[in-house]
Amino acid sequence: MKIYEAISKARYNYVPDHILGELLTKRWADNVVPLLFLLLTIAVLANLIPGFLSPQSMSDSGRQLGEFLIIVCGVSIVMIAGGIDLSVGSIYAICALLAVAVVNLLQWPIPAAFAVSVLIGATFGLLNGLLIGYLKLRAFLTTLITFVIGRAIYDILLDQLGTPIQLTYVDSPLWDFIGDGSVGQIPVSLLFTAVVLVSAHVFISRSRPGWHISAIGGSRRSAFNTGINVKKVVCLTYVISGASCGIAGFLFGARLNGTGPGTGIGLEILVLTACVVGGISLGGGRGSIVKGMLGGLIVLTINNSLIRMGYHSGTNQMVLGLMLAFAVILDIRWLRNRHKVLDKVYVAPVYTSMNPALSALPESGTPYALNSKLSDTELIGAGEIEGPEDVILDEHDHLYCGTRHGDIMRFFAPEYKESEIYVHIGGFPLGLAFGKDKSLNICVGAMGLYSVAQDGTITQLSAETTRSYLSVVDDARLRDPNDLDIGSDGNIYFTDSTTRYDAHEWATDSVENRPTGRVLVYDPKTGKTKTLLRGLSYPNGVCMANDGESFFFAESWECRVNRFWYRGIKEGKMECVIRDMPGYPDNINRASDGNFWMAWLGMRTPTFDLMLKRPATRRRMTRRLPKDDWLFPNINTGGVVKFDENGNIIETLGDLGGKNHPMVTSMREHKGYLYIGGILNNRIGRLKLQGADANWTGISSYWGDNA
Amino acid sequence: MDGYLRPNNLLDEAAIVTEVHQPDNAINVNGELWFSSGSHLLKLNLFSKNAKPELLSQFDEEISSIAAGPADCLAIGLDNGKIFVQRSGNHIEFPYIGDQELKCPTALGFIDENRLLVCQGSEHVKPSKMNLDLMRAGSSGSVWILDLTNGSQNCISSGLGFPYGIVVLHKARKILVSECWRHRILGISLDGSAPVETVLSDLQGYPARLFPTSRGKTMLCLFAARNRLIEFVLKEDEFRRKMIEAVDQKYWIAPQLKTGENFLEPLQQGGVKTMNIHKPWAPSLSYGLLVRLGPNHSPEASFHSRSNSNRHGITSGCEVQCSTFVTSKGGDCILEVSNDC
Repeated sequence: MKIYEAISKARYNYVPDHILGELLTKRWADNVVPLLFLLLTIAVLANLIPGFLSPQSMSDSGRQLGEFLIIVCGVSIVMIAGGIDLSVGSIYAICALLAVAVVNLLQWPIPAAFAVSVLIGATFGLLNGLLIGYLKLRAFLTTLITFVIGRAIYDILLDQLGTPIQLTYVDSPLWDFIGDGSVGQIPVSLLFTAVVLVSAHVFISRSRPGWHISAIGGSRRSAFNTGINVKKVVCLTYVISGASCGIAGFLFGARLNGTGPGTGIGLEILVLTACVVGGISLGGGRGSIVKGMLGGLIVLTINNSLIRMGYHSGTNQMVLGLMLAFAVILDIRWLRNRHKVLDKVYVAPVYTSMNPALSALPESGTPYALNSKLSDTELIGAGEIEGPEDVILDEHDHLYCGTRHGDIMRFFAPEYKESEIYVHIGGFPLGLAFGKDKSLNICVGAMGLYSVAQDGTITQLSAETTRSYLSVVDDARLRDPNDLDIGSDGNIYFTDSTTRYDAHEWATDSVENRPTGRVLVYDPKTGKTKTLLRGLSYPNGVCMANDGESFFFAESWECRVNRFWYRGIKEGKMECVIRDMPGYPDNINRASDGNFWMAWLGMRTPTFDLMLKRPATRRRMTRRLPKDDWLFPNINTGGVVKFDENGNIIETLGDLGGKNHPMVTSMREHKGYLYIGGILNNRIGRLKLQGADANWTGISSYWGDNA
Repeated sequence: MDGYLRPNNLLDEAAIVTEVHQPDNAINVNGELWFSSGSHLLKLNLFSKNAKPELLSQFDEEISSIAAGPADCLAIGLDNGKIFVQRSGNHIEFPYIGDQELKCPTALGFIDENRLLVCQGSEHVKPSKMNLDLMRAGSSGSVWILDLTNGSQNCISSGLGFPYGIVVLHKARKILVSECWRHRILGISLDGSAPVETVLSDLQGYPARLFPTSRGKTMLCLFAARNRLIEFVLKEDEFRRKMIEAVDQKYWIAPQLKTGENFLEPLQQGGVKTMNIHKPWAPSLSYGLLVRLGPNHSPEASFHSRSNSNRHGITSGCEVQCSTFVTSKGGDCILEVSNDC
């Protein structure tokens, strides 16, 4: 079976399965499907139609495409806000006609014609916007009415202006240049379009009103509740859509110097199809200019090709209709199932072979043998606090802990009955450490490294480190900052346990078992954070050794403790001090006798160890079973282990049966007592230590008695 | 679970009659409650309160099945595969079934004083190693009729996935057999007049013993609930093979009589204790479940002990003087269930 395991290891540890899930978390991942579809369409049509890719053909299509894409862009913005605009065809035709009329009949300069065209379009859009945004009429019906009325107006105007326009001749090089000219090989109208598209993209993705538009599309009510002027922004989207018809109409006018009875007919269906095919959700909130552009390219390419291949207009409509139907179904299915797909493919387990460990069974007689010494601790804050991952005491013996509500709680000595919210951080506070200036330094889950000064002011010390070049997810972000300690050089050494999961999904990381954790260092002098070590298996607790040159840190899923030298002659070296433990280590802290306390968050089980050797089985498990049914390490039993500087185990404390401390994630010795916290617990335990120094505190151990 | 299986706490609310290590095989012998605990055959006086179980007899091996018949007939099956029958003062021993050694007598039942029904759970494993049969996808179980007058043996059904319970329906024409690994109850006619029929299928648990009530209904004990992780592991042949090889049976991903005793047991995400609460709906390898079947064998009511409780592993039961008693082999107690049928 050695060969099987080697193959399994090669397959699951070196083939980067996890990238698929990471790609799917990207917002732009939705664009891949329309992009592939576009490339496929072009490839197929280039084979079917001779000269499809010739410069002349491209240039002709380019001019038409420019006008079309500008309108798609406007409608995309309307749709991102959750609306729809059916009146674009009519507005476009009117604008085109008026632009030509202004140039031909009134002999106004070309920029004036442009302004008129855009203004007329915007006015129609404003009419839509007022009715839909302020009077709250249905977008579909309102724009349908504008479409019908607009068409009627166009027909009347065409009747009046058509013949006079045809009888005049304009001699304007600018007008001709816009209509027929090229810069290099690229038609002017396409350049025009590029400018519009880029501005629209920046507007929707980088500007405040753009974000408001997306927010309204995502949830109108929430957007209203956060104070966005929904009426105004919705109205604005229709004005933009109308104005984009104006720009497109102007370009059309310049290209053909006239309009006909068929101008703009059926355009709304083409535009709508383009948006939906591109992946802009009909429900609003999801979409981008790039999506609209891709959709526009697909629809227009197919439409024009069908015409060139000589199909009747009926066939054309049929193809468009089918595409629209298919895209709508896909949109709804994908929207509903995207998170499910992501959930299913995200976990990409790797092969891990755990070495056998000494038993921790109470009757085993090993140094790891668990007992029930933690079962009857004195309880602090039972039922009042939720999730004290770490606990710490200050020089006045007050007790601090984080909660999953994002608070740092303070329990007052000596009773520890009264408590207050010391500060509210927002994220889940995990590791805690007092600095020399008595500030409380905190690792906050999914946020970063924070510091709370004695007067309660909160400072963000670090939220990012350097990004690695080949990572798909943004690994500059601190995803699961877990525990920290402060070195003799004043730097803060801390762990970021995984780049794959957020802090609350820490246990899921054990199922995947991919070593992506890091040890980082924050330098308060420069304010910069650097990555010291990477590729660790859920690095967790950090604790300074007594030599002032090194620190211990736990690697939870590998069940080991390492020592890393950050200065001195062994600088940069790492040694494994304890390996192959029967439990998963969490925080590490100093003990009064010069040794170290380490928490066990859970215990290894034979079935989970076996499962770690079988990544394919784990992968199927994560795909086929709901999360609640996944096999986990046994994190219902934890403990506290004391070890010396050489990694020898001195004693082990446990709570067999899990009465008060099923999972232990931290412990802190203070004046002869041990305080015990657990990330999934709702209490802190206090245990009197026999024979411990009753005056010893962590702060004096780090910063001296006068600190 | 929904409908008739809607969870409740009726087993947790049931009165404890006695606490004893791994009780099993409860039967009514002339109005007395007899049961086994390991290799001991015990009797409980139901009239005096706080009565301790009284030892009737002790065997070399764990008792795996008991049946009482008319005219003081008694049959006892042991973990080593032997069956002892006591009948009108005579002791008969049956070490063989068909042409093979009897391996796994999981349930016994008298049709009349001359004919004994035997469920052989598997041809390959002992009753105490039943999970091994599940992990090997066993289907070698069979049901036999032993004629006690002439010793003839007649197989009435074979190829079963661990038959674990048997009940003779009135008029002695038909029997019900619980087929554990296939989560169903089979109806078998004794005279061979009708083919084997599935009377109840897709049970939500692993069916164990069946017993009749005085009002013509049948009680079905289920020793554990089905679990999606177990069903998943049952499809993972290679993982199962490795698990059988490398892991102690009590720590397998398999239905168990009790859980939460030891940190080496498998844990599923939903079973993680949060804020000191073990959720009752958490997935668990053990569960307490008793189901009452109506006259046409359709389920009517159920009695539960959920994940956060410990009265799990309901393996057997009987009715004594219109009261229903069940053994919680995982919870180490015998319960009196308020069964208003």
